[in-house]
Amino acid sequence: MRMRSIHPLSEIALVVLLAALIGVAWNKTLLTDAWRGETRHAAVVAPQPAQAAEAVPMPVGLAQAKDLHDSGQAVLVDARNADSFVKEHISGALSLPLAVADRKKPPLPKNVTPDTIIIAYCNGFSCHDSMELGKILIKAGYRQVFVFEGGLPEWRDAGYPTAGGAS
Amino acid sequence: MKRIDFVMVLRIALGGVFIYAAVPKIVDPVAFAGSVAAYRILPYFWNYVAAAVLPFLELICGVLLVLGIRVRTGALIIGALNLVFMVALASAIVRGLDIDCGCFRQGGEKTTPWLALARDAVFLAMTAAVLRYERLRAG
Repeated sequence: MRMRSIHPLSEIALVVLLAALIGVAWNKTLLTDAWRGETRHAAVVAPQPAQAAEAVPMPVGLAQAKDLHDSGQAVLVDARNADSFVKEHISGALSLPLAVADRKKPPLPKNVTPDTIIIAYCNGFSCHDSMELGKILIKAGYRQVFVFEGGLPEWRDAGYPTAGGAS
Repeated sequence: MKRIDFVMVLRIALGGVFIYAAVPKIVDPVAFAGSVAAYRILPYFWNYVAAAVLPFLELICGVLLVLGIRVRTGALIIGALNLVFMVALASAIVRGLDIDCGCFRQGGEKTTPWLALARDAVFLAMTAAVLRYERLRAG
Protein backbone atom coordinates (compact mmCIF):
# COMPACT_ATOMS: atom_id res chain seq x y z
CA MET A 1 0.00 0.00 0.00
CA ARG A 2 1.28 3.37 -0.94
CA MET A 3 1.10 6.13 1.66
CA ARG A 4 -0.53 9.40 0.72
CA SER A 5 2.22 11.54 -0.68
CA ILE A 6 2.94 15.15 0.17
CA HIS A 7 5.27 17.24 -1.94
CA PRO A 8 8.82 16.06 -1.05
CA LEU A 9 9.98 19.57 -0.19
CA SER A 10 7.01 20.13 2.13
CA GLU A 11 7.77 16.85 3.81
CA ILE A 12 11.40 17.86 4.35
CA ALA A 13 10.29 21.26 5.67
CA LEU A 14 7.87 19.54 8.05
CA VAL A 15 10.55 17.24 9.47
CA VAL A 16 12.98 20.14 9.91
CA LEU A 17 10.27 22.22 11.59
CA LEU A 18 9.38 19.35 13.90
CA ALA A 19 13.04 18.90 14.88
CA ALA A 20 13.37 22.64 15.47
CA LEU A 21 10.27 22.75 17.65
CA ILE A 22 11.31 19.76 19.76
CA GLY A 23 14.93 20.98 19.97
CA VAL A 24 13.99 24.47 21.08
CA ALA A 25 11.37 23.20 23.56
CA TRP A 26 13.78 20.60 24.98
CA ASN A 27 16.58 23.15 25.42
CA LYS A 28 14.47 26.17 26.36
CA THR A 29 16.45 27.07 29.47
CA LEU A 30 19.81 26.63 27.78
CA LEU A 31 18.77 28.78 24.83
CA THR A 32 17.35 31.48 27.09
CA ASP A 33 20.62 31.57 29.04
CA ALA A 34 22.68 31.66 25.87
CA TRP A 35 20.53 34.47 24.51
CA ARG A 36 20.95 36.46 27.73
CA GLY A 37 24.67 35.78 27.56
CA GLU A 38 24.76 37.35 24.13
CA THR A 39 22.73 40.39 25.03
CA ARG A 40 24.59 40.71 28.31
CA HIS A 41 27.54 42.35 26.58
CA ALA A 42 26.11 45.85 26.97
CA ALA A 43 25.38 45.11 30.59
CA VAL A 44 28.99 44.07 31.17
CA VAL A 45 30.24 47.40 29.90
CA ALA A 46 27.69 49.27 31.99
CA PRO A 47 27.47 47.13 35.13
CA GLN A 48 24.05 46.54 36.59
CA PRO A 49 23.85 45.93 40.32
CA ALA A 50 20.79 43.79 39.66
CA GLN A 51 23.04 40.79 39.21
CA ALA A 52 23.67 40.69 42.94
CA ALA A 53 20.24 39.14 43.34
CA GLU A 54 21.03 36.31 40.91
CA ALA A 55 22.85 33.28 42.18
CA VAL A 56 23.95 32.00 38.79
CA PRO A 57 26.71 33.74 36.80
CA MET A 58 25.89 34.66 33.24
CA PRO A 59 27.86 33.27 30.32
CA VAL A 60 30.10 35.43 28.13
CA GLY A 61 31.32 34.36 24.71
CA LEU A 62 34.87 34.28 23.39
CA ALA A 63 34.65 37.73 21.79
CA GLN A 64 33.33 39.40 24.94
CA ALA A 65 35.87 37.63 27.12
CA LYS A 66 38.67 38.77 24.81
CA ASP A 67 37.42 42.38 24.77
CA LEU A 68 37.15 42.55 28.54
CA HIS A 69 40.54 40.83 28.94
CA ASP A 70 42.29 43.16 26.52
CA SER A 71 40.74 46.34 27.88
CA GLY A 72 41.67 45.34 31.42
CA GLN A 73 38.05 45.69 32.50
CA ALA A 74 37.83 42.13 33.77
CA VAL A 75 39.87 39.79 35.91
CA LEU A 76 39.95 36.24 34.58
CA VAL A 77 40.04 33.48 37.16
CA ASP A 78 41.05 29.92 36.35
CA ALA A 79 38.90 27.37 38.20
CA ARG A 80 41.13 24.37 37.36
CA ASN A 81 43.64 22.87 39.76
CA ALA A 82 47.02 24.51 40.39
CA ASP A 83 48.98 22.01 38.26
CA SER A 84 46.87 22.67 35.18
CA PHE A 85 47.23 26.40 35.81
CA VAL A 86 51.02 26.12 35.94
CA LYS A 87 51.07 24.14 32.69
CA GLU A 88 48.94 26.62 30.75
CA HIS A 89 46.45 29.37 31.46
CA ILE A 90 44.98 32.42 29.80
CA SER A 91 47.63 35.11 30.08
CA GLY A 92 46.98 37.43 32.98
CA ALA A 93 44.52 35.05 34.65
CA LEU A 94 44.55 34.35 38.36
CA SER A 95 44.49 30.82 39.71
CA LEU A 96 41.55 30.03 41.97
CA PRO A 97 40.94 26.27 41.95
CA LEU A 98 37.34 25.37 42.73
CA ALA A 99 38.52 23.04 45.51
CA VAL A 100 40.26 25.98 47.25
CA ALA A 101 37.41 28.45 46.80
CA ASP A 102 35.01 25.81 48.07
CA ARG A 103 36.72 25.56 51.47
CA LYS A 104 37.25 29.16 52.46
CA LYS A 105 36.57 32.72 51.38
CA PRO A 106 37.90 32.99 47.81
CA PRO A 107 41.47 34.31 48.23
CA LEU A 108 41.47 37.00 45.55
CA PRO A 109 43.89 39.93 45.66
CA LYS A 110 42.83 43.20 47.31
CA ASN A 111 42.49 45.04 44.01
CA VAL A 112 39.60 42.73 43.07
CA THR A 113 36.66 44.58 44.57
CA PRO A 114 33.02 43.46 44.71
CA ASP A 115 32.39 45.56 41.60
CA THR A 116 35.26 44.17 39.57
CA ILE A 117 34.12 42.18 36.56
CA ILE A 118 35.26 38.61 37.14
CA ILE A 119 35.22 35.99 34.41
CA ALA A 120 35.62 32.39 35.53
CA TYR A 121 36.78 29.72 33.11
CA CYS A 122 38.01 26.14 33.10
CA ASN A 123 38.42 23.38 30.51
CA GLY A 124 35.64 24.33 28.14
CA PHE A 125 32.01 23.54 27.66
CA SER A 126 32.10 20.10 29.29
CA CYS A 127 33.74 21.53 32.43
CA HIS A 128 31.40 22.88 35.09
CA ASP A 129 33.97 24.07 37.65
CA SER A 130 33.89 27.64 36.32
CA MET A 131 30.11 27.77 36.79
CA GLU A 132 30.47 26.43 40.35
CA LEU A 133 33.27 28.89 41.09
CA GLY A 134 31.13 31.70 39.68
CA LYS A 135 28.32 30.79 42.08
CA ILE A 136 30.74 30.79 45.03
CA LEU A 137 32.10 34.20 44.01
CA ILE A 138 28.60 35.65 43.77
CA LYS A 139 27.81 34.25 47.22
CA ALA A 140 31.05 35.79 48.50
CA GLY A 141 29.72 39.19 47.50
CA TYR A 142 31.21 39.74 44.05
CA ARG A 143 28.54 41.39 41.97
CA GLN A 144 29.87 41.12 38.41
CA VAL A 145 30.64 37.47 37.90
CA PHE A 146 30.53 35.82 34.49
CA VAL A 147 31.51 32.46 33.09
CA PHE A 148 33.44 32.00 29.87
CA GLU A 149 32.15 28.55 28.96
CA GLY A 150 34.48 27.97 26.03
CA GLY A 151 37.33 28.18 28.54
CA LEU A 152 40.99 27.60 27.83
CA PRO A 153 40.40 25.29 24.80
CA GLU A 154 38.36 27.88 22.89
CA TRP A 155 40.74 30.67 23.89
CA ARG A 156 43.79 28.67 22.79
CA ASP A 157 42.14 27.53 19.53
CA ALA A 158 41.40 31.15 18.72
CA GLY A 159 45.14 31.81 18.91
CA TYR A 160 44.80 34.16 21.87
CA PRO A 161 47.69 34.49 24.32
CA THR A 162 48.25 31.91 27.01
CA ALA A 163 51.01 31.61 29.58
CA GLY A 164 52.57 28.77 31.47
CA GLY A 165 55.14 26.00 31.14
CA ALA A 166 53.48 23.94 28.39
CA SER A 167 55.51 23.67 25.24
CA MET B 1 22.56 -11.45 -0.54
CA LYS B 2 19.81 -9.99 -2.65
CA ARG B 3 20.10 -6.37 -3.63
CA ILE B 4 16.94 -5.41 -1.74
CA ASP B 5 18.31 -6.95 1.46
CA PHE B 6 21.59 -5.17 0.98
CA VAL B 7 19.93 -1.78 0.58
CA MET B 8 17.74 -2.50 3.59
CA VAL B 9 20.84 -3.26 5.67
CA LEU B 10 22.43 -0.03 4.43
CA ARG B 11 19.32 1.95 5.29
CA ILE B 12 19.01 0.54 8.80
CA ALA B 13 22.75 0.93 9.43
CA LEU B 14 22.67 4.56 8.27
CA GLY B 15 19.63 5.30 10.42
CA GLY B 16 21.27 3.56 13.37
CA VAL B 17 24.43 5.65 12.97
CA PHE B 18 22.41 8.85 13.08
CA ILE B 19 20.41 7.76 16.13
CA TYR B 20 23.68 6.78 17.81
CA ALA B 21 25.11 10.19 16.92
CA ALA B 22 22.05 12.08 18.17
CA VAL B 23 21.63 10.62 21.65
CA PRO B 24 24.82 11.88 23.38
CA LYS B 25 24.22 15.35 21.92
CA ILE B 26 20.66 15.43 23.24
CA VAL B 27 21.91 14.31 26.65
CA ASP B 28 24.66 16.96 26.82
CA PRO B 29 23.70 19.89 24.57
CA VAL B 30 26.19 22.25 26.26
CA ALA B 31 29.13 20.03 25.34
CA PHE B 32 27.82 19.77 21.79
CA ALA B 33 27.43 23.56 21.63
CA GLY B 34 31.11 23.69 22.58
CA SER B 35 31.98 21.36 19.72
CA VAL B 36 29.98 23.49 17.29
CA ALA B 37 31.59 26.68 18.65
CA ALA B 38 35.04 25.18 18.13
CA TYR B 39 34.42 25.33 14.36
CA ARG B 40 34.12 29.11 14.72
CA ILE B 41 31.54 29.34 11.93
CA LEU B 42 28.41 30.50 13.75
CA PRO B 43 27.93 33.50 16.04
CA TYR B 44 27.81 32.73 19.78
CA PHE B 45 24.06 32.24 20.25
CA TRP B 46 23.60 30.24 17.04
CA ASN B 47 26.02 27.58 18.28
CA TYR B 48 23.45 26.83 20.95
CA VAL B 49 20.55 26.84 18.47
CA ALA B 50 22.42 24.39 16.24
CA ALA B 51 23.24 22.26 19.28
CA ALA B 52 19.57 22.28 20.30
CA VAL B 53 18.04 21.43 16.93
CA LEU B 54 20.57 19.32 14.97
CA PRO B 55 20.50 16.26 17.26
CA PHE B 56 16.70 16.02 17.01
CA LEU B 57 16.89 16.29 13.24
CA GLU B 58 19.43 13.46 13.25
CA LEU B 59 17.25 11.43 15.59
CA ILE B 60 14.03 11.86 13.61
CA CYS B 61 15.70 11.06 10.28
CA GLY B 62 17.54 8.10 11.84
CA VAL B 63 14.25 6.70 13.13
CA LEU B 64 12.57 7.22 9.73
CA LEU B 65 15.35 5.27 8.02
CA VAL B 66 15.41 2.44 10.56
CA LEU B 67 11.64 2.01 10.45
CA GLY B 68 11.48 2.43 6.69
CA ILE B 69 8.93 5.25 6.90
CA ARG B 70 9.26 8.22 4.54
CA VAL B 71 12.69 6.93 3.61
CA ARG B 72 13.29 9.41 0.82
CA THR B 73 12.65 12.41 3.07
CA GLY B 74 14.85 11.01 5.85
CA ALA B 75 17.63 10.13 3.43
CA LEU B 76 17.51 13.50 1.66
CA ILE B 77 17.85 15.37 4.97
CA ILE B 78 20.63 13.06 6.14
CA GLY B 79 22.40 13.58 2.82
CA ALA B 80 22.08 17.35 3.19
CA LEU B 81 23.32 17.20 6.79
CA ASN B 82 26.29 15.13 5.67
CA LEU B 83 27.15 17.72 3.04
CA VAL B 84 26.93 20.52 5.62
CA PHE B 85 29.15 18.54 8.02
CA MET B 86 31.68 17.92 5.26
CA VAL B 87 31.82 21.61 4.32
CA ALA B 88 32.32 22.51 8.01
CA LEU B 89 35.06 19.90 8.41
CA ALA B 90 36.78 20.99 5.21
CA SER B 91 36.69 24.61 6.39
CA ALA B 92 38.24 23.51 9.70
CA ILE B 93 41.02 21.75 7.79
CA VAL B 94 41.62 24.74 5.51
CA ARG B 95 41.81 27.10 8.49
CA GLY B 96 44.17 24.74 10.29
CA LEU B 97 41.86 24.27 13.29
CA ASP B 98 42.99 21.43 15.51
CA ILE B 99 39.56 20.46 16.86
CA ASP B 100 37.53 17.40 17.66
CA CYS B 101 34.87 16.68 15.06
CA GLY B 102 32.15 16.49 17.76
CA CYS B 103 30.28 14.02 15.57
CA PHE B 104 29.38 11.38 18.13
CA ARG B 105 30.27 11.22 21.83
CA GLN B 106 31.27 14.66 23.09
CA GLY B 107 34.70 14.92 24.67
CA GLY B 108 36.94 11.91 25.17
CA GLU B 109 39.21 10.78 22.36
CA LYS B 110 39.61 13.26 19.58
CA THR B 111 38.49 12.48 16.02
CA THR B 112 40.48 14.54 13.55
CA PRO B 113 38.64 16.48 10.81
CA TRP B 114 40.29 14.33 8.11
CA LEU B 115 39.01 11.08 9.60
CA ALA B 116 35.56 12.58 10.14
CA LEU B 117 35.52 13.82 6.54
CA ALA B 118 36.33 10.32 5.25
CA ARG B 119 33.64 8.84 7.47
CA ASP B 120 31.07 11.35 6.24
CA ALA B 121 31.97 10.49 2.64
CA VAL B 122 31.08 6.85 3.41
CA PHE B 123 27.76 7.91 4.98
CA LEU B 124 27.05 10.07 1.93
CA ALA B 125 27.66 7.11 -0.38
CA MET B 126 25.32 4.98 1.76
CA THR B 127 22.68 7.74 1.54
CA ALA B 128 23.06 7.87 -2.24
CA ALA B 129 22.57 4.10 -2.48
CA VAL B 130 19.42 4.24 -0.32
CA LEU B 131 18.02 7.15 -2.36
CA ARG B 132 18.79 5.41 -5.66
CA TYR B 133 17.00 2.26 -4.56
CA GLU B 134 14.02 4.33 -3.34
CA ARG B 135 13.81 6.02 -6.72
CA LEU B 136 13.92 2.68 -8.58
CA ARG B 137 11.27 1.27 -6.27
CA ALA B 138 9.01 4.29 -6.65
CA GLY B 139 9.61 4.63 -10.38
